[in-house]
Amino acid sequence: MTTPVLEVRNLTKFFPVRAGVFLRKVGDVHAAEDVSLRVHRGETLGLVGESGCGKSTVGRVILNLLRPTRGQVLFEGRDLSELSRAEWRALRRDMQIIFQDPMESLNARHTVGRILEEPFVIHKIGTSHERRIWAQDLLERVGLPRDSVSRFPHEFSGGQRQRIGIARAIALKPKLIICDEAVSALDVSVRAQIINLLLELQREMELALLFIAHDLSVVRHVSDRVAVMYLGQIVEQAPSREIYERPGHPYTRALVSAIPIPDPDRHGERIVLEGDVPSPITPPAGCRFHTRCAYAQDRCRQHQPSMETMGSAHEVACHRRRELPAPAA
Amino acid sequence: MAEPILTVKDLSCGFHTEDGYTRVVDGMSYELHAGTTLGLVGESGCGKTVSALAVMGLLPRPAGVVEHGEIRLKGEQISNSSTEALRAFRGRRIGMIFQEPMTALNPVHRIGKQLLETIQLYEPELDNGAQQARAMELLEQVGIPAPRQRLREYPHQLSGGMRQRVMIAMALAGNPDVLIADEPTTALDVTVQAQILELLGALQRAHGMGVIFITHDLGVVAQLCDEVLVMYAGRIAERASAKQLFRTPRHPYTHGLIRSIPQLDTPLKSPLPTIEGVVPPLNALPPGCRFSNRCRYADERCEAESPALALCQPQHEVACHHWRRLAA
Repeated sequence: MTTPVLEVRNLTKFFPVRAGVFLRKVGDVHAAEDVSLRVHRGETLGLVGESGCGKSTVGRVILNLLRPTRGQVLFEGRDLSELSRAEWRALRRDMQIIFQDPMESLNARHTVGRILEEPFVIHKIGTSHERRIWAQDLLERVGLPRDSVSRFPHEFSGGQRQRIGIARAIALKPKLIICDEAVSALDVSVRAQIINLLLELQREMELALLFIAHDLSVVRHVSDRVAVMYLGQIVEQAPSREIYERPGHPYTRALVSAIPIPDPDRHGERIVLEGDVPSPITPPAGCRFHTRCAYAQDRCRQHQPSMETMGSAHEVACHRRRELPAPAA
Repeated sequence: MAEPILTVKDLSCGFHTEDGYTRVVDGMSYELHAGTTLGLVGESGCGKTVSALAVMGLLPRPAGVVEHGEIRLKGEQISNSSTEALRAFRGRRIGMIFQEPMTALNPVHRIGKQLLETIQLYEPELDNGAQQARAMELLEQVGIPAPRQRLREYPHQLSGGMRQRVMIAMALAGNPDVLIADEPTTALDVTVQAQILELLGALQRAHGMGVIFITHDLGVVAQLCDEVLVMYAGRIAERASAKQLFRTPRHPYTHGLIRSIPQLDTPLKSPLPTIEGVVPPLNALPPGCRFSNRCRYADERCEAESPALALCQPQHEVACHHWRRLAA
């Protein structure tokens, strides 16, 4: 098999919790623990989970915006922690991120032209005339008029601003783009436009996408494979279709069953989980999901399950994966 | 059919801005029946929330203006006076919950104090002990474990789902006839959303309230609502039962919206059908049909003449000159 564009191995990220007058460390937020994943060229890996499950932390560690507590991030086989500053800077061109709210990531005082020329300026590419042309080309590619270069971000709608965010992300022809809730804030009709644009660009540029989101129906549509996170850990990973049709983990089953289906004639059996997600500062012992799981037994409370295969390319971290009733269709 | 619990007739309202007056809701009429759920759907800025605030008498003053419109609750007209008494009456008969309970709850007061304030307003005749008991009862009704302890806590000590439950408890304090839920689950995770939707359904069955559910999530509409109003740029584009709306949408906008959501059987990574273009700004609306600049059926008539809401099937209204072409 070819080297994946991105490989994350046993990534762990703790944030210290400080309290008291001397701000002594009193504990850790277990934001991500032992997360391993791979994204290949031209492939989308969806990373789903509820707020606070650590999915955005994983994205930020990959981009070196946060330092991992343990574990490795490999880009095309190279360990990022072993790179020199210069090497890292060169490599940074190949990995980009798109955020949920483009208004917060686009400088409101700069024209769109300046925003889009900036990546070229930082990496010292082209003359100022060339950069201006490239900025216009980028706008055209994402479906905005070329003369948008002289306008400011606030003059655009949410969907158009996300197009600008995408234009900036693809400016340096990256190999990997992390989409962190990139379409979550958009209205339905605009969301479909942006999803289509991302899929088109992926095909054209053979982009590897890490698509972080909480909207499961969107993730299913754009992803080749999906990884599900709960309280900092990946509990299931499988091809997109498989995970929605044959979810293995009880948590995934609850998530999938909770997707409101836009069809009044299709009422699936909705599994309503009891209670809230426990605190990531003191995660439960054993399987982290056992406090809310209808199938939990003693061993689930004592021993943490590891990821085991369940059919081809389908991995589940659940002691009882082979004993659960078949998921409701 | 029984008399509707809430009737809104020809409601128009808007805001005074620096650039003059902008009408946000234009000639909206609907009826809500006890024990049923009416979905109000549409994209940001379509007027769904503003129309609900107008019904509640909660438009911010002096910028917000109700130009005209008649609002009747159980046959009684409540739209014309704006005295304090009437506002209290409305708050009691019509409860409202919002997307972000953290902005509606006061962060420096305990849950108990805020809930008791509401109870005092509605039931001043109760003594302290009885009010306390009522507060506990309300929290139990909305499924909050250990209510006695929760009453002593502050809003930030609760999770998002729990805060939304507290909001629902406060909205229920006056035993309202109507509950307006404005995107109550949009900020919540899917599994918590499932809990809250379940709770709202159970409360509605127990109290027989009429519920207006404002959302942009068509999935939630399909699972929850009996009847649906689709709004576009301040007007009702289509009104139908949820079943008819999803089976046979007659407005090109509704049709486009439904098709643009990935379904479980949409081929993976295939291009999604889209509605091209963007919603026109409310201060520069086209003279004819407001959807005409994005509609593939639009012709000269659509650009010149605004379509009125008219029956296309029994119990199904659409505001489109060309709905027959979509039906064909």
